[in-house]
Amino acid sequence: MNGVPVLSLITASPFVGALLIMFTARNSPRAVRWIAAITTGIPLVLSCVVYAAYDLEHGGFQFYEKLPVAPALGINYEVAVDGMSLILVLLTAIIIFCGVFASWTVTVRNQEFYALLLTLVTGVFGVFVSLDLFIFFLFYELAVLPMYLLIGIWGSSGEIRPRGIFAWAIRETGVGTKEYAAMKLTLYLLLGSAFILVGILALYFAAGQNSFSLLDLDGGDFSQGLQRWVFLAFYVGFGTLAGVWPLHTWSPDGHASAPTAVSMLDAGVLMKLGAYGFVRFGMGLLPDATHELAWLVGTIACINIVYGALSAMAQHDLKYVVAYSSVSHMGIVLLGAATLTETGINGSVFQMFAHGIMTGLFFALVGLVYEKAHTREIGKMGGFGRAMPGIAVAFTLGGLSSLGLPSTSGFIAEFLTFLGAWRSDHSWWLFPAVAGTFLTAVYVLRVVKQIFWGPAAHGHDADLVDAKGPEWVALIVLGFVLVLFGMLPSLAIAPIDSATVTLLGKLGISP
Amino acid sequence: MTTLALELALAILILVVFLAGLFSRADDRRFVGVVAIVGMAGLFALSFLVVPGESVLGGSFVLDGLAIFAKQLFILATLIGLLGSHALRTTTFKRRAGEYYLLILTSLLGMMALASARELILLFVAFELMSIPLYVLAGFTKREGESVEASLKFFLVGSVSSAIMAYGLSFLYGLAGSTHLAEISKLLREPSPLFIFAMLAVFVGFGFKIAAFPFHMWVPDTYEAGPTPFVAWLSVAPKAAGFVALFRVYLEGVGEGAAFWIPMASGLAAITIIAGNLMALPQTNVKRLLAYSGIAHIGYMLVGFAAVSTYGIAWVLFYLVAYVFANMGAFLVVEAVAQHEGSVSLSAFRGLAQRSPLLALAMLLFLLSLGGIPFVIGFWAKLYVFWAAAQVGLYWLVLIGAVLTVVALFYYLAIARQMYISQPEHITRIEVPFSLALAIMISAVAVVALGLWPRPLVEATLRVAATFF
Repeated sequence: MNGVPVLSLITASPFVGALLIMFTARNSPRAVRWIAAITTGIPLVLSCVVYAAYDLEHGGFQFYEKLPVAPALGINYEVAVDGMSLILVLLTAIIIFCGVFASWTVTVRNQEFYALLLTLVTGVFGVFVSLDLFIFFLFYELAVLPMYLLIGIWGSSGEIRPRGIFAWAIRETGVGTKEYAAMKLTLYLLLGSAFILVGILALYFAAGQNSFSLLDLDGGDFSQGLQRWVFLAFYVGFGTLAGVWPLHTWSPDGHASAPTAVSMLDAGVLMKLGAYGFVRFGMGLLPDATHELAWLVGTIACINIVYGALSAMAQHDLKYVVAYSSVSHMGIVLLGAATLTETGINGSVFQMFAHGIMTGLFFALVGLVYEKAHTREIGKMGGFGRAMPGIAVAFTLGGLSSLGLPSTSGFIAEFLTFLGAWRSDHSWWLFPAVAGTFLTAVYVLRVVKQIFWGPAAHGHDADLVDAKGPEWVALIVLGFVLVLFGMLPSLAIAPIDSATVTLLGKLGISP
Repeated sequence: MTTLALELALAILILVVFLAGLFSRADDRRFVGVVAIVGMAGLFALSFLVVPGESVLGGSFVLDGLAIFAKQLFILATLIGLLGSHALRTTTFKRRAGEYYLLILTSLLGMMALASARELILLFVAFELMSIPLYVLAGFTKREGESVEASLKFFLVGSVSSAIMAYGLSFLYGLAGSTHLAEISKLLREPSPLFIFAMLAVFVGFGFKIAAFPFHMWVPDTYEAGPTPFVAWLSVAPKAAGFVALFRVYLEGVGEGAAFWIPMASGLAAITIIAGNLMALPQTNVKRLLAYSGIAHIGYMLVGFAAVSTYGIAWVLFYLVAYVFANMGAFLVVEAVAQHEGSVSLSAFRGLAQRSPLLALAMLLFLLSLGGIPFVIGFWAKLYVFWAAAQVGLYWLVLIGAVLTVVALFYYLAIARQMYISQPEHITRIEVPFSLALAIMISAVAVVALGLWPRPLVEATLRVAATFF
C-alpha cells in the first residue's frame, strides 16, 4: 500500500459518517441508514485489503503512519498494525457492519443513534491501530463515552422482580433498568481508564524519553517495583473492560440493557479492547512483572470461566445469559494470555476474534427475537423454531460454537488455550477451564432447546416471523465467518502467530 | 505609571458606574450594566497592550507575566459574569443594579491589586478589598432570610479567616523584619518552627478564600442563596485570585526550598478532592451540586500546586482558565433554566435536550469539561495537573485524583441524564435573554476550541510560569 494512509481511512471513515449523518440527513431515516452502511462498509473492505496485503514473512508493525501532534510532549499520531491488531481490526469492521444492519429498525431519534454509534466505532478502530499510548487513551475514551447515551436513551430495561434480602437495595438503585446499566457501565469503564492513565504516565516518566510511542517505550529498562505496580494498574484498568472477575459486573447489566447494535459492539469488540490492551501494553511492556504475576491473572481467569458459566445458568433473561457467557469466555481469553506459551497466546487472540463474532451473532439474534416476541424471559418463549427457522439455525450455530464444537471457530480457540494451559507452569488451570466448557454446554443447550426446539409457548403466534431483508445480512455474514475460521483456522492463526512470537521474544521465552 | 494602568482604568470605570447609578432616578437601572460591560470589554482589550514593567511603590507592586495573565483572567471572568448578570430580571435587581455592578467592579479591583502584591500589607488590603464587596453581594436580596443567613455566614467565616491570616502575617514580619515577600522567602532556607507555624496560619487563611476542605462551609449556602450570575463569578474569580496570591507567598523566589510544602499541599489536595466529590454526590439542587464540585476542583488545582514546579504553576493557571469557562458556563445555564422553570433542582433539567437542544449541548460540554473528558478543555486541565504531580513522583495523589474523577462523573452525568434521557413534561422552548446566551456561547466555544487546540494556552501559561522559580 504505497503511501495510502489506509489505517487512518479505516479509523476516520465512521466518524465522517457520523458527521454526515448529523449535518445532512436530518429527518431522513433512510439516508441515515445508508450513510451508516456505506461508511462502515468502507472499513470492512479496507480491513480485508489490509489483511490480504499484510506481509507475513516480515511480521511486525506494518502500514505505519506518523504525524506529530504535540512534539514538545512527545505525542504523535502513530498508527500501524501487527498480526494481532490486524485480526481485531477485521473483527471490529465485521461486527459494526453487521451491527448497522441489525439496528435497521431503530426509529426513535435515529439520527443521533447512528451518529453516536459510528463515533464509538472510530474510537474502537483507533484503539486497535494506535501505537502512541496517549492517542490510544484518547481513542479509548471516545469508545467508552457514547455508550452512556446509547444505552441510556435507546436501551431496554429488563423485567426484574427484586427478591431476597437485598430487594430494597435493588429497588432503590434501579438494578436492571437501562439508566442504572448505562451509569454503571460508564463509571466502571472510566474507573478503569483512571488506572490506565496513571500507568501510562508512570511509564512515560520512567522511560524518560519524552515519548508515548510504544516503539520507544518497548525495551525500556523499568525497575521491578515499577513494573509490578504498573502491571497491576493495567490489569485492573484493562481488566475492568475485559470483564475480569470481580470487576465484571458492569458487563451483564450493560450488555443486557443496551440496544442490539451496541450490545454487539460492546460484548463483541469493546471487551476485546481490554484484553488487547492488557496483552499489548501490560505483557508487552512489562515482561518481568508478567512472569511474576501470571499466576494471578490465570487463576482469576479460571474463576471467570466457571463463575461466568454458573451465573449464566442461573439467568431467566435471555440477554443476561448471553452477557454472562461473555464473562465466561473472556476468562478463556485471559487464561490463554496467562499461560505464556505460544499455543496459549494464539488461542487467546483467536478466542478474542471467535468470541467477538459469536457473541455479535448472539446479540443480533436476541435483538431479533426480542423484537418479535416482545419478551426476553426464557420461560415465556418456546417452539420458535417452527416460525423462524433461519433465526433458529443461526442461534444453534452460535450456541455450538460457544460450547466449542469442532468445525466452529470456538473449538479452535478453546482447544489451543487448553493446550497452552496444560503446557504452562500451572497445568491445573486446565480443569476449571474444561469444567467451564461443560457448564457452557449445559446452559446453551438448555436455552436453545427451550426457545427454538421445545414445545410452543402461547400468545406469540401472530408476531412471529423469520428474519427478513437487511436483518439477514448480520446473520449470514457472522455465521459464515464463524464457520469459515473454524474450518480454516490458519487464516487467523498465521498472522496471530507472527505477533505472538514477537511477544514471547520480549518475555524472554523461546517459542 | 504604566504599571498601574489597568488599575487606574478600572478605578475610572468604577467612578463612572457609580455616578451613572447615582444620577439615575429611574426604577430600572439596568443600563448601568451596559456601561460596565462596555467598560470591561475595553479593559480586556487594554490588558493585551500592557507589558511587564518595573515594580512601583518600593517593589511592593509588581507587573510580571503572572500578574498580567491573572488580570486578564479576572477581567474575562468578570466580563462573562456581567453579561450573565445583565439578564437578571427581578425588580430588586432592576432597582439596585447600580450597587450590584459597583460592588463587583470594586471586588475586581481588589483582585487585580492582589495579583500584583509582593508585600504583606498590600496583600492583606487587597484581599479585604476583594472580599468585603463579596459579603455584601452575597446578601444582595436582603429581604430574603436565606440570603441574609448566607451573607452572614460568609462574612463571619471570611473575617475569622482574615484574622487568622493577619495573625500569621504578623509573625512573618517579626521574623523577617520586613513586609516584603522577597525578604520573607529567604526564611525558608532555614525554616524555624515559628516560621512554619506562621505559614500554616496564613495557609488556613488562604484555605478559606479558595474554599479548600475543611474551610469550605460557607460555599454551598452562599452559592445557593446568591443571584446565580454573581455566584458563577464568585465561584471562579476570587478562587483564581487566591491561587495567584498563594503562588506569590509560597513559591515565588523560593527555589529548591519549595519542596518543603509538598506534604502539606498534597495532603490538603487529597482530602479536598475526596471530600468535595463525596459531598456533591447526594445533592439534588444543581447550585449546591456545583458548589461542592467546585470544592473538588480546588483540590485538583492544589494537586498542581503540590508539584511545586514551574510546570505545576503553569498547569494550575491552565486549570483556572478551564475552570473559569466551564464552571461559569454551567452556572449560567442553570440561570437560564431557572429563569424559565423557577427551580434549580435537578428535575428542572428534565428533557432539556428536546426542549432547547443547543442549551442542553452547551451544558453537556461544560459538564464534560468539568468531568475531565477528552476533546474539551477540562481533560487537558486534569491531565496536566496530574502530569505535574507524576513528574515529582506523587503517583498516589494522581491515582486518588483520577479515581475520584469517576465519582465526579456520576453526579455530572446525573444532570446529563435529566437533560438527554428523561422525557420532558412539556415541550416548550426555553427563551434565553441575549446577553446571557452570549455569555454561555462564549464559554462553550472556548471550552471546545481550547479542548481541540490547547497549544496557545499551554504556551502562554508556560511562558508565565517560566520566570517564577
